[in-house]
Amino acid sequence: MAIVLSIDNLSKKYGSLKAVDSLSLQVEEGSIYGLLGPNGSGKTTTLGMVLDVIQPTGGSFSWFGDGISKATKQRVGAILETPNFYPYLTAKRNLQVIADTKGADHQNIAKMLDLVGLGTRSNTTFKGFSLGMKQRLALAAAMLNDPEVLVLDEPTNGLDPQGIAEVRDLILRIAAQGKTIILASHLLDEVEKVCTHVAVLRTGKLVTDGPVGNILSAKEQLIVSAEYLAPVLQLLERLPYIAQFAQEKDYVILTLQEGYSSTDLNRDMFAQGVVLSQLVARRKSLEKQFLEIIKS
Amino acid sequence: MNLLRTEFRKIFPYRTFWIILAVYVLLLLLILYTSSSIQINNKALGDETFQLPGLWMRLTYVAHFFNLLLGILVIVLITDEYSFRTIRQQVIDGLSRAEVVLAKFYVVLALAVFSTVFILVLGLYFGLVYSSDKSMQALFSQIDYLPYYFVQAVAYMTLAMLFAFIVRKSGLAIIAFIAYTKIVEPLIHFNLPDHIDKYFPMKALDSLTPMPGQDLFGQLTSPIEQLSPAMATLPALLYVGLFLLLTYAVLKMRDL
Repeated sequence: MAIVLSIDNLSKKYGSLKAVDSLSLQVEEGSIYGLLGPNGSGKTTTLGMVLDVIQPTGGSFSWFGDGISKATKQRVGAILETPNFYPYLTAKRNLQVIADTKGADHQNIAKMLDLVGLGTRSNTTFKGFSLGMKQRLALAAAMLNDPEVLVLDEPTNGLDPQGIAEVRDLILRIAAQGKTIILASHLLDEVEKVCTHVAVLRTGKLVTDGPVGNILSAKEQLIVSAEYLAPVLQLLERLPYIAQFAQEKDYVILTLQEGYSSTDLNRDMFAQGVVLSQLVARRKSLEKQFLEIIKS
Repeated sequence: MNLLRTEFRKIFPYRTFWIILAVYVLLLLLILYTSSSIQINNKALGDETFQLPGLWMRLTYVAHFFNLLLGILVIVLITDEYSFRTIRQQVIDGLSRAEVVLAKFYVVLALAVFSTVFILVLGLYFGLVYSSDKSMQALFSQIDYLPYYFVQAVAYMTLAMLFAFIVRKSGLAIIAFIAYTKIVEPLIHFNLPDHIDKYFPMKALDSLTPMPGQDLFGQLTSPIEQLSPAMATLPALLYVGLFLLLTYAVLKMRDL
Protein backbone atom coordinates (compact mmCIF):
# COMPACT_ATOMS: atom_id res chain seq x y z
CA MET A 1 0.00 0.00 0.00
CA ALA A 2 1.25 3.44 -0.91
CA ILE A 3 1.76 5.94 1.89
CA VAL A 4 -0.50 8.98 1.48
CA LEU A 5 0.66 11.05 4.43
CA SER A 6 3.87 10.56 6.32
CA ILE A 7 4.56 12.60 9.45
CA ASP A 8 8.03 12.52 10.93
CA ASN A 9 8.85 13.94 14.35
CA LEU A 10 6.46 16.84 13.88
CA SER A 11 6.37 19.36 16.74
CA LYS A 12 4.61 22.60 17.50
CA LYS A 13 5.42 24.76 20.48
CA TYR A 14 3.40 27.73 21.69
CA GLY A 15 5.83 29.34 24.09
CA SER A 16 6.60 26.63 26.62
CA LEU A 17 3.49 24.63 25.71
CA LYS A 18 4.11 21.69 23.43
CA ALA A 19 0.88 21.37 21.45
CA VAL A 20 2.34 18.59 19.33
CA ASP A 21 5.39 16.73 20.55
CA SER A 22 7.57 14.73 18.14
CA LEU A 23 4.65 13.07 16.43
CA SER A 24 5.36 10.42 13.81
CA LEU A 25 2.75 8.46 11.90
CA GLN A 26 1.90 7.16 8.48
CA VAL A 27 -1.42 7.01 6.69
CA GLU A 28 -1.83 4.32 4.09
CA GLU A 29 -3.79 4.69 0.91
CA GLY A 30 -7.40 3.55 1.22
CA SER A 31 -7.53 3.61 5.00
CA ILE A 32 -9.86 5.59 7.19
CA TYR A 33 -7.41 6.95 9.68
CA GLY A 34 -8.73 8.26 12.97
CA LEU A 35 -6.85 10.78 15.09
CA LEU A 36 -8.34 10.16 18.49
CA GLY A 37 -7.74 12.20 21.58
CA PRO A 38 -9.42 14.43 24.12
CA ASN A 39 -9.90 18.13 23.42
CA GLY A 40 -6.56 19.92 23.41
CA SER A 41 -4.53 16.83 22.59
CA GLY A 42 -3.09 18.35 19.40
CA LYS A 43 -5.32 16.85 16.70
CA THR A 44 -6.27 20.12 15.01
CA THR A 45 -2.75 21.53 15.40
CA THR A 46 -1.36 18.43 13.68
CA LEU A 47 -3.84 18.73 10.83
CA GLY A 48 -3.18 22.48 10.60
CA MET A 49 0.52 21.81 10.13
CA VAL A 50 0.12 19.19 7.39
CA LEU A 51 -2.42 21.49 5.69
CA ASP A 52 0.05 24.40 5.48
CA VAL A 53 -1.73 26.85 7.79
CA ILE A 54 0.35 26.32 10.94
CA GLN A 55 4.14 26.47 10.83
CA PRO A 56 5.75 23.45 12.50
CA THR A 57 8.40 24.18 15.14
CA GLY A 58 10.24 21.03 14.14
CA GLY A 59 10.00 17.83 12.14
CA SER A 60 8.62 17.25 8.67
CA PHE A 61 5.79 15.70 6.72
CA SER A 62 5.08 14.69 3.15
CA TRP A 63 1.99 14.09 1.05
CA PHE A 64 2.31 11.33 -1.56
CA GLY A 65 6.07 11.48 -0.96
CA ASP A 66 6.24 15.21 -1.82
CA GLY A 67 6.23 18.44 0.14
CA ILE A 68 3.08 20.53 0.28
CA SER A 69 2.41 22.46 -2.93
CA LYS A 70 -0.44 23.55 -5.14
CA ALA A 71 -0.34 20.14 -6.82
CA THR A 72 -0.54 18.15 -3.59
CA LYS A 73 -3.18 20.47 -2.14
CA GLN A 74 -5.44 19.74 -5.09
CA ARG A 75 -5.31 16.04 -4.26
CA VAL A 76 -6.48 16.70 -0.69
CA GLY A 77 -9.86 18.04 0.37
CA ALA A 78 -9.90 19.32 3.92
CA ILE A 79 -12.04 20.91 6.60
CA LEU A 80 -10.28 22.32 9.64
CA GLU A 81 -12.37 22.98 12.75
CA THR A 82 -15.54 24.90 11.88
CA PRO A 83 -16.94 25.23 8.34
CA ASN A 84 -15.43 28.43 6.93
CA PHE A 85 -17.51 30.29 4.35
CA TYR A 86 -18.59 33.81 3.43
CA PRO A 87 -21.79 34.29 5.46
CA TYR A 88 -23.40 36.67 2.96
CA LEU A 89 -22.84 34.40 -0.08
CA THR A 90 -25.24 31.64 -1.08
CA ALA A 91 -24.15 28.01 -0.88
CA LYS A 92 -23.64 27.96 -4.63
CA ARG A 93 -21.56 31.14 -4.74
CA ASN A 94 -19.44 29.95 -1.84
CA LEU A 95 -18.68 26.78 -3.75
CA GLN A 96 -17.90 28.81 -6.89
CA VAL A 97 -15.20 30.69 -4.96
CA ILE A 98 -13.77 27.39 -3.73
CA ALA A 99 -13.98 25.77 -7.16
CA ASP A 100 -11.90 28.67 -8.52
CA THR A 101 -9.25 28.16 -5.87
CA LYS A 102 -9.13 24.41 -6.34
CA GLY A 103 -9.28 24.52 -10.10
CA ALA A 104 -12.38 22.32 -9.92
CA ASP A 105 -14.98 22.01 -12.65
CA HIS A 106 -17.91 24.31 -11.83
CA GLN A 107 -20.29 21.62 -13.06
CA ASN A 108 -19.43 19.60 -9.95
CA ILE A 109 -21.06 22.21 -7.73
CA ALA A 110 -24.66 21.13 -8.30
CA LYS A 111 -23.64 17.48 -8.11
CA MET A 112 -21.92 17.90 -4.76
CA LEU A 113 -24.78 19.96 -3.32
CA ASP A 114 -27.12 17.13 -4.26
CA LEU A 115 -24.79 14.55 -2.75
CA VAL A 116 -24.88 16.24 0.66
CA GLY A 117 -28.61 16.92 0.42
CA LEU A 118 -28.41 20.68 -0.12
CA GLY A 119 -29.53 20.69 -3.73
CA THR A 120 -32.70 22.59 -2.95
CA ARG A 121 -30.91 25.09 -0.70
CA SER A 122 -28.22 26.18 -3.14
CA ASN A 123 -29.52 29.76 -3.22
CA THR A 124 -29.73 30.17 0.56
CA THR A 125 -27.01 32.32 2.11
CA PHE A 126 -24.57 30.51 4.37
CA LYS A 127 -25.60 32.47 7.46
CA GLY A 128 -29.13 31.11 7.08
CA PHE A 129 -27.94 27.51 7.38
CA SER A 130 -28.27 25.32 10.45
CA LEU A 131 -25.09 23.84 11.90
CA GLY A 132 -25.81 20.50 10.27
CA MET A 133 -26.24 22.14 6.87
CA LYS A 134 -23.00 24.08 7.36
CA GLN A 135 -21.14 20.86 8.12
CA ARG A 136 -22.60 19.21 5.03
CA LEU A 137 -21.72 22.21 2.87
CA ALA A 138 -18.15 21.92 4.19
CA LEU A 139 -18.13 18.27 3.12
CA ALA A 140 -19.38 19.25 -0.33
CA ALA A 141 -16.62 21.88 -0.54
CA ALA A 142 -13.95 19.39 0.49
CA MET A 143 -15.06 16.92 -2.17
CA LEU A 144 -15.49 19.50 -4.92
CA ASN A 145 -12.62 18.41 -7.13
CA ASP A 146 -12.92 14.73 -6.33
CA PRO A 147 -9.74 14.55 -4.18
CA GLU A 148 -7.94 11.31 -3.34
CA VAL A 149 -7.75 12.21 0.33
CA LEU A 150 -10.30 13.80 2.63
CA VAL A 151 -9.18 15.41 5.88
CA LEU A 152 -12.08 15.94 8.28
CA ASP A 153 -11.76 17.63 11.66
CA GLU A 154 -14.60 16.71 14.02
CA PRO A 155 -17.11 16.45 11.16
CA THR A 156 -20.01 15.50 13.42
CA ASN A 157 -19.32 18.09 16.11
CA GLY A 158 -22.53 19.75 17.24
CA LEU A 159 -24.85 17.69 15.06
CA ASP A 160 -28.03 16.00 16.23
CA PRO A 161 -28.16 12.18 16.19
CA GLN A 162 -29.73 12.08 12.74
CA GLY A 163 -27.13 14.48 11.39
CA ILE A 164 -24.34 12.42 12.93
CA ALA A 165 -25.70 9.26 11.33
CA GLU A 166 -25.97 11.00 7.94
CA VAL A 167 -22.45 12.35 8.02
CA ARG A 168 -21.00 8.99 9.10
CA ASP A 169 -22.91 7.26 6.39
CA LEU A 170 -21.58 9.78 3.89
CA ILE A 171 -18.01 9.19 5.08
CA LEU A 172 -18.36 5.44 4.69
CA ARG A 173 -19.83 5.87 1.19
CA ILE A 174 -16.93 8.10 0.18
CA ALA A 175 -14.43 5.65 1.64
CA ALA A 176 -16.08 2.84 -0.30
CA GLN A 177 -14.96 4.64 -3.48
CA GLY A 178 -11.39 3.88 -2.46
CA LYS A 179 -10.57 7.29 -1.02
CA THR A 180 -8.33 7.79 1.96
CA ILE A 181 -9.93 9.61 4.88
CA ILE A 182 -8.16 11.21 7.80
CA LEU A 183 -10.61 11.91 10.60
CA ALA A 184 -9.91 13.77 13.81
CA SER A 185 -12.34 13.07 16.60
CA HIS A 186 -12.64 13.05 20.34
CA LEU A 187 -15.44 10.50 20.09
CA LEU A 188 -14.24 6.99 20.62
CA ASP A 189 -17.46 5.53 19.37
CA GLU A 190 -17.14 7.47 16.11
CA VAL A 191 -13.59 6.27 15.48
CA GLU A 192 -14.53 2.69 16.27
CA LYS A 193 -17.56 2.78 13.97
CA VAL A 194 -15.93 4.53 11.04
CA CYS A 195 -12.16 4.07 11.07
CA THR A 196 -9.87 1.26 9.99
CA HIS A 197 -6.78 2.70 11.68
CA VAL A 198 -6.37 4.89 14.70
CA ALA A 199 -3.70 6.98 16.37
CA VAL A 200 -4.38 8.00 19.94
CA LEU A 201 -2.99 11.37 21.03
CA ARG A 202 -2.58 12.78 24.49
CA THR A 203 -1.06 16.22 25.24
CA GLY A 204 0.51 16.29 21.81
CA LYS A 205 2.17 12.90 22.07
CA LEU A 206 1.35 9.72 20.20
CA VAL A 207 0.15 7.19 22.75
CA THR A 208 -0.47 4.30 20.43
CA ASP A 209 -1.43 3.64 16.82
CA GLY A 210 -2.42 0.75 14.57
CA PRO A 211 -5.49 -0.95 13.15
CA VAL A 212 -8.62 -0.16 15.13
CA GLY A 213 -9.14 -3.84 15.94
CA ASN A 214 -5.74 -4.08 17.63
CA ILE A 215 -5.89 -0.87 19.58
CA LEU A 216 -9.46 -0.75 20.75
CA SER A 217 -10.65 -4.32 20.93
CA ALA A 218 -7.71 -6.69 21.35
CA LYS A 219 -7.03 -5.94 24.94
CA GLU A 220 -9.81 -8.00 26.29
CA GLN A 221 -9.87 -9.17 29.84
CA LEU A 222 -9.88 -12.85 30.60
CA ILE A 223 -11.48 -14.37 33.62
CA VAL A 224 -10.18 -17.77 34.57
CA SER A 225 -10.96 -20.09 37.43
CA ALA A 226 -9.96 -23.60 38.37
CA GLU A 227 -10.50 -26.06 41.15
CA TYR A 228 -7.23 -24.98 42.74
CA LEU A 229 -6.01 -21.47 41.99
CA ALA A 230 -2.47 -21.84 43.38
CA PRO A 231 -0.97 -23.67 40.33
CA VAL A 232 -2.79 -21.22 38.02
CA LEU A 233 -1.23 -18.24 39.75
CA GLN A 234 2.20 -19.89 39.69
CA LEU A 235 1.93 -20.51 35.98
CA LEU A 236 0.68 -16.99 35.24
CA GLU A 237 3.84 -15.66 36.92
CA ARG A 238 5.95 -17.53 34.40
CA LEU A 239 4.03 -17.06 31.15
CA PRO A 240 5.75 -14.25 29.23
CA TYR A 241 2.69 -12.87 27.45
CA ILE A 242 0.59 -12.07 30.50
CA ALA A 243 0.36 -8.29 30.81
CA GLN A 244 -1.13 -8.33 34.30
CA PHE A 245 -3.28 -10.46 36.54
CA ALA A 246 -5.05 -10.17 39.84
CA GLN A 247 -6.92 -12.62 41.99
CA GLU A 248 -10.47 -11.83 42.90
CA LYS A 249 -12.26 -14.16 45.29
CA ASP A 250 -12.33 -17.49 43.46
CA TYR A 251 -11.22 -16.33 40.02
CA VAL A 252 -8.36 -14.45 38.36
CA ILE A 253 -8.71 -11.46 36.07
CA LEU A 254 -5.90 -11.02 33.59
CA THR A 255 -4.98 -9.20 30.39
CA LEU A 256 -2.72 -10.54 27.67
CA GLN A 257 -0.08 -8.74 25.68
CA GLU A 258 -0.80 -7.75 22.11
CA GLY A 259 -0.97 -10.63 19.63
CA TYR A 260 -2.04 -13.31 22.13
CA SER A 261 -5.47 -14.68 22.70
CA SER A 262 -7.35 -16.86 25.13
CA THR A 263 -6.46 -19.86 22.94
CA ASP A 264 -2.77 -19.49 23.78
CA LEU A 265 -3.51 -19.33 27.47
CA ASN A 266 -5.78 -22.34 27.40
CA ARG A 267 -3.24 -24.40 25.46
CA ASP A 268 -0.36 -23.57 27.79
CA MET A 269 -2.40 -24.19 30.92
CA PHE A 270 -3.44 -27.59 29.66
CA ALA A 271 0.13 -28.44 28.60
CA GLN A 272 1.27 -27.76 32.16
CA GLY A 273 -1.43 -29.99 33.55
CA VAL A 274 -3.71 -27.22 34.77
CA VAL A 275 -7.32 -27.68 33.79
CA LEU A 276 -9.40 -24.56 33.87
CA SER A 277 -12.96 -24.75 34.97
CA GLN A 278 -13.79 -21.37 33.48
CA LEU A 279 -12.26 -19.21 30.76
CA VAL A 280 -14.23 -16.13 29.83
CA ALA A 281 -13.12 -13.35 27.51
CA ARG A 282 -14.68 -10.10 28.57
CA ARG A 283 -14.31 -6.98 26.49
CA LYS A 284 -13.66 -3.88 28.47
CA SER A 285 -16.01 -1.06 27.71
CA LEU A 286 -14.57 1.25 25.07
CA GLU A 287 -14.71 4.27 27.30
CA LYS A 288 -12.78 2.44 29.98
CA GLN A 289 -10.13 1.40 27.48
CA PHE A 290 -9.87 4.90 26.09
CA LEU A 291 -9.47 6.44 29.50
CA GLU A 292 -6.83 3.83 30.33
CA ILE A 293 -4.95 4.53 27.10
CA ILE A 294 -4.84 8.26 27.58
CA LYS A 295 -4.10 8.02 31.29
CA SER A 296 -1.20 5.59 31.20
CA MET B 1 -6.10 37.45 -13.37
CA ASN B 2 -8.06 34.42 -12.24
CA LEU B 3 -7.29 35.61 -8.72
CA LEU B 4 -9.07 38.90 -9.42
CA ARG B 5 -12.10 37.10 -10.87
CA THR B 6 -12.39 35.06 -7.68
CA GLU B 7 -12.03 38.23 -5.58
CA PHE B 8 -14.86 39.82 -7.58
CA ARG B 9 -17.03 36.77 -6.90
CA LYS B 10 -16.60 37.44 -3.19
CA ILE B 11 -16.91 41.22 -3.33
CA PHE B 12 -19.75 41.96 -5.74
CA PRO B 13 -22.55 40.38 -3.69
CA TYR B 14 -21.18 42.03 -0.51
CA ARG B 15 -23.37 44.89 0.62
CA THR B 16 -20.74 46.47 2.91
CA PHE B 17 -18.45 46.88 -0.09
CA TRP B 18 -21.08 48.82 -2.06
CA ILE B 19 -21.99 50.96 0.94
CA ILE B 20 -18.40 52.10 1.52
CA LEU B 21 -17.93 52.69 -2.21
CA ALA B 22 -21.20 54.66 -2.37
CA VAL B 23 -20.11 56.82 0.58
CA TYR B 24 -16.85 57.52 -1.28
CA VAL B 25 -18.66 58.52 -4.47
CA LEU B 26 -21.31 60.61 -2.72
CA LEU B 27 -18.86 62.50 -0.50
CA LEU B 28 -16.71 63.40 -3.47
CA LEU B 29 -19.75 64.54 -5.47
CA LEU B 30 -21.07 66.50 -2.51
CA ILE B 31 -17.81 68.40 -2.05
CA LEU B 32 -17.62 69.31 -5.72
CA TYR B 33 -21.28 70.26 -5.86
CA THR B 34 -20.99 72.39 -2.75
CA SER B 35 -17.91 74.21 -3.96
CA SER B 36 -19.63 74.92 -7.27
CA SER B 37 -22.54 76.65 -5.57
CA ILE B 38 -20.69 78.63 -2.90
CA GLN B 39 -20.81 82.33 -3.60
CA ILE B 40 -17.94 84.55 -2.57
CA ASN B 41 -18.23 88.26 -3.37
CA ASN B 42 -21.15 87.54 -5.67
CA LYS B 43 -18.97 85.21 -7.69
CA ALA B 44 -19.56 81.46 -7.74
CA LEU B 45 -16.53 79.72 -6.28
CA GLY B 46 -17.08 76.95 -8.81
CA ASP B 47 -16.15 79.29 -11.62
CA GLU B 48 -12.72 79.59 -10.03
CA THR B 49 -12.32 75.98 -8.92
CA PHE B 50 -13.30 74.34 -12.16
CA GLN B 51 -11.10 76.35 -14.47
CA LEU B 52 -9.05 74.14 -16.74
CA PRO B 53 -6.26 73.09 -16.75
CA GLY B 54 -5.76 73.77 -13.00
CA LEU B 55 -8.88 71.72 -12.33
CA TRP B 56 -6.93 68.43 -12.42
CA MET B 57 -4.60 69.55 -9.66
CA ARG B 58 -7.46 70.81 -7.49
CA LEU B 59 -9.53 67.70 -8.14
CA THR B 60 -6.80 65.20 -7.27
CA TYR B 61 -5.89 67.26 -4.18
CA VAL B 62 -9.49 67.03 -2.98
CA ALA B 63 -9.71 63.34 -3.90
CA HIS B 64 -6.55 62.48 -1.98
CA PHE B 65 -8.34 63.07 1.32
CA PHE B 66 -10.69 60.24 0.44
CA ASN B 67 -7.88 57.70 0.00
CA LEU B 68 -8.44 57.08 3.68
CA LEU B 69 -11.89 55.74 2.85
CA LEU B 70 -10.49 53.48 0.15
CA GLY B 71 -7.92 52.25 2.68
CA ILE B 72 -10.69 51.47 5.16
CA LEU B 73 -12.54 49.54 2.45
CA VAL B 74 -9.42 47.45 1.80
CA ILE B 75 -8.98 46.84 5.54
CA VAL B 76 -12.59 45.68 5.84
CA LEU B 77 -12.25 43.28 2.91
CA ILE B 78 -9.05 41.74 4.30
CA THR B 79 -9.97 41.53 7.99
CA ASP B 80 -13.26 39.89 6.94
CA GLU B 81 -11.24 37.01 5.53
CA TYR B 82 -9.74 36.57 8.98
CA SER B 83 -13.03 36.78 10.87
CA PHE B 84 -14.74 34.38 8.45
CA ARG B 85 -11.56 32.22 8.56
CA THR B 86 -11.82 31.97 4.82
CA ILE B 87 -8.19 33.01 4.39
CA ARG B 88 -7.20 29.81 6.16
CA GLN B 89 -9.55 27.74 4.02
CA GLN B 90 -8.16 29.26 0.82
CA VAL B 91 -4.61 28.35 1.77
CA ILE B 92 -5.81 24.83 2.60
CA ASP B 93 -7.60 24.69 -0.75
CA GLY B 94 -4.52 25.58 -2.75
CA LEU B 95 -3.47 29.24 -2.61
CA SER B 96 0.09 30.04 -1.63
CA ARG B 97 0.72 32.94 0.72
CA ALA B 98 2.14 34.95 -2.17
CA GLU B 99 -1.11 34.43 -4.08
CA VAL B 100 -3.13 35.60 -1.07
CA VAL B 101 -1.17 38.88 -1.10
CA LEU B 102 -1.36 39.14 -4.87
CA ALA B 103 -5.14 38.60 -4.95
CA LYS B 104 -5.67 41.48 -2.52
CA PHE B 105 -3.20 43.67 -4.41
CA TYR B 106 -5.24 43.11 -7.57
CA VAL B 107 -8.29 44.36 -5.67
CA VAL B 108 -6.26 47.42 -4.65
CA LEU B 109 -5.34 48.03 -8.29
CA ALA B 110 -8.95 47.59 -9.39
CA LEU B 111 -10.16 50.07 -6.77
CA ALA B 112 -7.47 52.57 -7.80
CA VAL B 113 -8.52 52.22 -11.46
CA PHE B 114 -12.11 52.78 -10.43
CA SER B 115 -11.39 55.92 -8.40
CA THR B 116 -9.06 57.33 -11.07
CA VAL B 117 -11.64 56.81 -13.80
CA PHE B 118 -14.30 58.31 -11.54
CA ILE B 119 -12.16 61.41 -11.04
CA LEU B 120 -11.49 61.57 -14.79
CA VAL B 121 -15.24 61.56 -15.45
CA LEU B 122 -15.83 64.19 -12.76
CA GLY B 123 -13.07 66.37 -14.20
CA LEU B 124 -14.39 66.11 -17.73
CA TYR B 125 -17.93 66.91 -16.60
CA PHE B 126 -17.17 69.87 -14.33
CA GLY B 127 -14.45 71.15 -16.67
CA LEU B 128 -16.65 71.10 -19.74
CA VAL B 129 -19.60 72.64 -17.86
CA TYR B 130 -17.88 75.38 -15.84
CA SER B 131 -14.49 76.13 -17.39
CA SER B 132 -14.23 79.16 -19.65
CA ASP B 133 -11.40 77.58 -21.63
CA LYS B 134 -12.61 74.26 -23.05
CA SER B 135 -9.87 73.67 -25.61
CA MET B 136 -8.12 70.32 -25.91
CA GLN B 137 -4.96 72.02 -24.71
CA ALA B 138 -6.63 73.19 -21.52
CA LEU B 139 -8.34 69.87 -21.00
CA PHE B 140 -5.32 67.62 -21.27
CA SER B 141 -2.23 69.70 -20.56
CA GLN B 142 -2.23 68.93 -16.85
CA ILE B 143 -3.97 65.59 -16.90
CA ASP B 144 -0.76 63.95 -15.64
CA TYR B 145 -2.12 64.60 -12.14
CA LEU B 146 -4.39 61.61 -12.73
CA PRO B 147 -1.61 58.99 -13.03
CA TYR B 148 0.06 60.60 -9.98
CA TYR B 149 -3.22 60.24 -8.12
CA PHE B 150 -3.45 56.60 -9.25
CA VAL B 151 -0.01 55.80 -7.80
CA GLN B 152 -0.97 57.57 -4.59
CA ALA B 153 -4.24 55.66 -4.23
CA VAL B 154 -2.45 52.34 -4.83
CA ALA B 155 0.19 53.19 -2.23
CA TYR B 156 -2.36 54.30 0.39
CA MET B 157 -4.37 51.12 -0.08
CA THR B 158 -1.27 48.92 -0.01
CA LEU B 159 -0.33 50.47 3.33
CA ALA B 160 -3.89 49.79 4.55
CA MET B 161 -3.44 46.20 3.37
CA LEU B 162 -0.26 45.87 5.41
CA PHE B 163 -2.07 47.12 8.51
CA ALA B 164 -4.97 44.73 7.87
CA PHE B 165 -2.70 41.69 7.59
CA ILE B 166 -0.71 42.68 10.68
CA VAL B 167 -3.63 43.58 12.96
CA ARG B 168 -6.30 41.18 11.55
CA LYS B 169 -9.17 42.88 13.43
CA SER B 170 -11.05 45.49 11.42
CA GLY B 171 -11.61 48.12 14.10
CA LEU B 172 -8.06 48.04 15.42
CA ALA B 173 -6.57 47.95 11.93
CA ILE B 174 -8.56 51.02 10.87
CA ILE B 175 -7.48 52.90 14.02
CA ALA B 176 -3.84 51.90 13.48
CA PHE B 177 -3.99 52.96 9.82
CA ILE B 178 -5.50 56.37 10.56
CA ALA B 179 -3.28 56.90 13.61
CA TYR B 180 -0.18 56.21 11.56
CA THR B 181 -1.10 58.30 8.53
CA LYS B 182 -2.57 61.25 10.40
CA ILE B 183 -0.82 61.35 13.77
CA VAL B 184 2.32 59.25 14.09
CA GLU B 185 4.04 60.23 10.88
CA PRO B 186 3.18 63.94 11.10
CA LEU B 187 4.67 63.90 14.63
CA ILE B 188 7.86 62.39 13.23
CA HIS B 189 7.92 65.03 10.49
CA PHE B 190 7.67 67.67 13.15
CA ASN B 191 10.96 66.61 14.66
CA LEU B 192 12.90 66.16 11.45
CA PRO B 193 14.23 68.64 8.90
CA ASP B 194 12.30 68.87 5.63
CA HIS B 195 15.09 67.56 3.44
CA ILE B 196 14.92 64.21 5.27
CA ASP B 197 11.23 63.81 6.03
CA LYS B 198 10.15 64.63 2.49
CA TYR B 199 11.07 61.02 1.69
CA PHE B 200 8.87 59.60 4.46
CA PRO B 201 5.94 57.51 3.14
CA MET B 202 3.04 59.83 3.89
CA LYS B 203 4.88 62.96 2.88
CA ALA B 204 6.18 61.43 -0.34
CA LEU B 205 2.69 60.14 -1.17
CA ASP B 206 1.03 63.45 -0.41
CA SER B 207 3.56 65.19 -2.67
CA LEU B 208 1.92 63.36 -5.59
CA THR B 209 -1.15 65.59 -5.25
CA PRO B 210 0.27 68.92 -4.08
CA MET B 211 -1.93 71.56 -2.50
CA PRO B 212 -3.08 74.10 -5.10
CA GLY B 213 -1.57 77.52 -4.57
CA GLN B 214 1.15 76.23 -2.32
CA ASP B 215 3.82 78.14 -4.22
CA LEU B 216 2.06 81.36 -3.39
CA PHE B 217 1.63 80.28 0.19
CA GLY B 218 5.30 79.43 0.39
CA GLN B 219 6.29 82.90 -0.74
CA LEU B 220 4.30 84.47 2.07
CA THR B 221 5.72 82.27 4.84
CA SER B 222 8.84 80.14 4.71
CA PRO B 223 8.84 77.81 1.70
CA ILE B 224 8.00 74.16 2.46
CA GLU B 225 10.47 71.78 0.95
CA GLN B 226 8.73 68.86 -0.68
CA LEU B 227 9.16 66.61 -3.69
CA SER B 228 7.53 67.45 -6.99
CA PRO B 229 4.93 64.90 -8.14
CA ALA B 230 7.36 63.55 -10.74
CA MET B 231 10.12 63.22 -8.17
CA ALA B 232 7.79 61.55 -5.66
CA THR B 233 6.66 58.82 -8.07
CA LEU B 234 9.71 56.60 -7.68
CA PRO B 235 9.74 56.70 -3.85
CA ALA B 236 5.99 56.02 -3.89
CA LEU B 237 6.43 52.96 -6.10
CA LEU B 238 9.28 51.75 -3.90
CA TYR B 239 7.01 52.09 -0.88
CA VAL B 240 4.33 50.01 -2.63
CA GLY B 241 6.93 47.30 -3.19
CA LEU B 242 8.11 47.54 0.41
CA PHE B 243 4.55 47.31 1.82
CA LEU B 244 3.88 44.25 -0.35
CA LEU B 245 7.07 42.54 0.79
CA LEU B 246 6.31 43.28 4.44
CA THR B 247 2.76 41.94 4.00
CA TYR B 248 4.14 38.74 2.51
CA ALA B 249 6.72 38.43 5.31
CA VAL B 250 4.00 38.84 7.95
CA LEU B 251 1.88 36.11 6.32
CA LYS B 252 4.88 33.84 5.93
CA MET B 253 5.93 34.13 9.55
CA ARG B 254 2.56 33.69 11.21
CA ASP B 255 0.11 30.84 11.55
CA LEU B 256 -3.20 31.41 9.83
